[in-house]
Amino acid sequence: MSDQSFADKAVMDFPRRDAHDKVTGRTRFTVDIGGSEVLHAALLRSDHASARIIKLDVEPARKMPGVRAIATGSDVPGRYGIGIADYTLLAKDVVRYHGEPIAAIAADTLEQARAALDAIELELEPLPASLTMADSLAENATLVHPDWQDYEVLFEGGVRGGNIAWEATVERGDTDAAFAREDVTIVEGFYEVGRQSHVPFEPRAAVASFEDGRYHIHASTQVPWTVRTVTARVLGVPESHVRVTVPTVGGGFGLKFDASIEPCAAVLARMTGRPVSIINSRREEQMTCLSRENAEIRIRSAVTSEGEIVGREATVLMDCGAYGGEQVFLTTMTTHTLGGNYKLGAVRICSRAVYTNTPPNGAFRACNGVYNTFALERHTDEIADAIGMDRMEFRRRHVLGDQDISATGQVYDGDVLAPMLERMEVLRAKSGSRKDLAGNRFYGEATTVGTWLIFVGPSAATVNLNYDGSATLVTTGVELGQGTMMQALPQIVAANLGIAPEDVIVKTADTDAAGRDLGVGGGRTTVSIGAASEAACTVVRDKLLGVASEILQTPKKDLVLARGRIEIKGRPGSGTTIQQVVAEAESRFGPISGSGSFTTPPFECMPGCTAGHFIDAIEPVFAVHNCELAIDPDTGKVDILAYRVVQDVGRALNPRAIHGQIQGGVVQGFGYALHEEITINETGAFDQTGFENYLLPLATDSIPVEFDLYEGAPAVGPFGTKGAGEIPILNVAAAIGCAVANATGKQVSSMPLTPPKIAALIDDCNPPLQHDHISPVWSENTIERK
Amino acid sequence: MTTSLMINGEERSLTCDPRTPLVDVLRNELRLTGTRNVCREGYCGACSVHVDGKPMSSCLLPVGTLEGRDIVTIEGISQGDKLDVIQQAFIDLDVIQCGMCFPGMVMTLRPFLRDNPSPSRDAVKFALVGNVCRCTGYERIIDAVMSVVDATEVTE
Repeated sequence: MSDQSFADKAVMDFPRRDAHDKVTGRTRFTVDIGGSEVLHAALLRSDHASARIIKLDVEPARKMPGVRAIATGSDVPGRYGIGIADYTLLAKDVVRYHGEPIAAIAADTLEQARAALDAIELELEPLPASLTMADSLAENATLVHPDWQDYEVLFEGGVRGGNIAWEATVERGDTDAAFAREDVTIVEGFYEVGRQSHVPFEPRAAVASFEDGRYHIHASTQVPWTVRTVTARVLGVPESHVRVTVPTVGGGFGLKFDASIEPCAAVLARMTGRPVSIINSRREEQMTCLSRENAEIRIRSAVTSEGEIVGREATVLMDCGAYGGEQVFLTTMTTHTLGGNYKLGAVRICSRAVYTNTPPNGAFRACNGVYNTFALERHTDEIADAIGMDRMEFRRRHVLGDQDISATGQVYDGDVLAPMLERMEVLRAKSGSRKDLAGNRFYGEATTVGTWLIFVGPSAATVNLNYDGSATLVTTGVELGQGTMMQALPQIVAANLGIAPEDVIVKTADTDAAGRDLGVGGGRTTVSIGAASEAACTVVRDKLLGVASEILQTPKKDLVLARGRIEIKGRPGSGTTIQQVVAEAESRFGPISGSGSFTTPPFECMPGCTAGHFIDAIEPVFAVHNCELAIDPDTGKVDILAYRVVQDVGRALNPRAIHGQIQGGVVQGFGYALHEEITINETGAFDQTGFENYLLPLATDSIPVEFDLYEGAPAVGPFGTKGAGEIPILNVAAAIGCAVANATGKQVSSMPLTPPKIAALIDDCNPPLQHDHISPVWSENTIERK
Repeated sequence: MTTSLMINGEERSLTCDPRTPLVDVLRNELRLTGTRNVCREGYCGACSVHVDGKPMSSCLLPVGTLEGRDIVTIEGISQGDKLDVIQQAFIDLDVIQCGMCFPGMVMTLRPFLRDNPSPSRDAVKFALVGNVCRCTGYERIIDAVMSVVDATEVTE
């Protein structure tokens, strides 16, 4: 694409081709796959948080009407996980959380499968349960996994032990010396947050069949290759025996970034020889949601009177629930988010995934970045207050800029955050203060910054240039609703081949058709699959131009692709059509196709400063948010009066779609910050079982988000793009938390800020956070490394 | 027990348990899967259908109570390629994301706009409190609705 600017070639704001079927109800999601041949499965789940399985007799259930097969733990014996293989699909011997599946039954109807569950004879003997991280970290705590040392390690380098599933640390510079300086003010803060449930409208669902000796799973997933790997592991078959295809997915938000029920459907399909469908009920989906984890955070900073942060240390405890799951990986992200935003002298951060006897957690849009940013930005306000500096002034002076080093010692290119803060000032001035709308209520405003990363990793793409001049793009990307498969990818291929995006067919994900891909999440699809697609297009262009060069008797470098034709540069109409060149190519050597791939570029950190990290250096992506709000002093209810976003997008291919991502992500953040609350009762179960008591934002809770897309920051993505869907939620809790602190003059240190909590905050009735299980001595919160 | 009712203009006789929620009959037996089964508690609105012209949550309607009623689902709204104006506005303004909630939104908004041809933005929001969307944050949906409302008659 170096020969011509992208803006000349790409179709911007390309309409998404799935829109018509989605508004008319014709789209078939995984939950809509049906037919009389499909069997329906239901799962027997534990109603204890921690118990020994004394008896599991499924024979009575086999005699129930309609029952075709029953699977238990011995049918799916393999363990899986991220970093460590600690996960079992169906519990054997012990159960570790309320809701853990123990057996699966396939029957002719769902009602029959559910009725048969009641006939299974199950006896559980309760064991002591650790329901909180404080329980799990207490001396002589019950071990959630007494056999943790026997588990297979899948990623080397992590430190773990007992109820610590994984620990990631970074230590750069002499932090002790920084804190010992006489010219510094030491500021310390404690923070804690609850869980957040994704609530995708399509629950996790899978329909599996066993065909010609191989498993074929239609799954509602973001990670077809993970489903393939996990299914093979738990069933003990080669990965090549598993095929995963993905129809349109009805929302994911990170929940579907792990395998869950898919292998159960697969094993039941093999047993019955029939397609088997498993769809989580809404209650199951809520009660076993791989939520954004609850966390407890301690940050301490040594700051000069000018605001230079000469030393920072932090400990972040992340509740991974009964199995490590995504939290093992996400310990890495603390360094890049809580350790982001600001220039740091010496730094040491420890992030620990802690086992508890609660439902396992997982990935959720911007993951722990959301609460690490909340904690960091509240802490930043407290630092500014402590040294008597204006909060905005502090940020302007100390955000990361060109050639500054990150927490892991990576050198960042480009001044991005400071100009974004300036752009926010412009946006605020343009729309004007909404203070008048607060009336007699408390009014608060805050501006916060946030750092996330473009999650890259391997992607593959093949482009077939068809006889009719259209192109088919084959990847294992998934359309969740974000639009990448409908918009950015056909736009990128079209711009590279000089054809219309309407003429680019994008094949739905099929692990039998395309090369491996890490999955759709982390804002990576446009960047990683886009880059792989572009690389595939380069091969196609080269072949196409080679043939055209001979036909037109013109060197390749003097040919351009545009509007379905190949022209001699500067002489429109002089060339020929792509179709004619394809026909000529077919007669000479066959059809034109090309494959391309992409993986994480070699970003560099300072060697030796990290341990247990899956990613040491990143491509950062930044956001600046501003919030104005009013608080009813009697009820504690918050009304958002204005919300503004300046987002680093690299380059905006689809400003309308990015607007949709920003509006949607910010409103999800409103829910997280204000009213989406999960509480865990004494049985280890969530109290919130559905829409009645898990309170999602409604139309009346939203306001139009004002935004400015910041273009031009360094980016590895095609045409300078960055993922835009992940980060709109990144600093919402931070902006609301800081604005509530500003409005009330109180310390805000926990989320969500429900009305009762804010009312208590105003009346000074909230007890101060106590984290006795986080030592004031940083190193005591780490496992000693050998 | 047999229940006779009209579904999308066709007379249907259903012999299932009269307590079966209408949404299950539509999706599982008639394979009209555009009616989405999401919360099953009456809060999300994704399963909205018209019963004698009024939008109702089909998860809360036992089919046995619908004898002689006239049911229209999302599949009965558009005639071939001719879409309702609100459906077209959702497409034209690139509002859709995962799409699971949109059939229900259409089922709520069509009679609302018929009865309230010039609603304010706030009135549209209040009309949608029974239709939850997890993806979009609503405002662009409201923008699309306002784009089909006669702007001169809007009173905020």
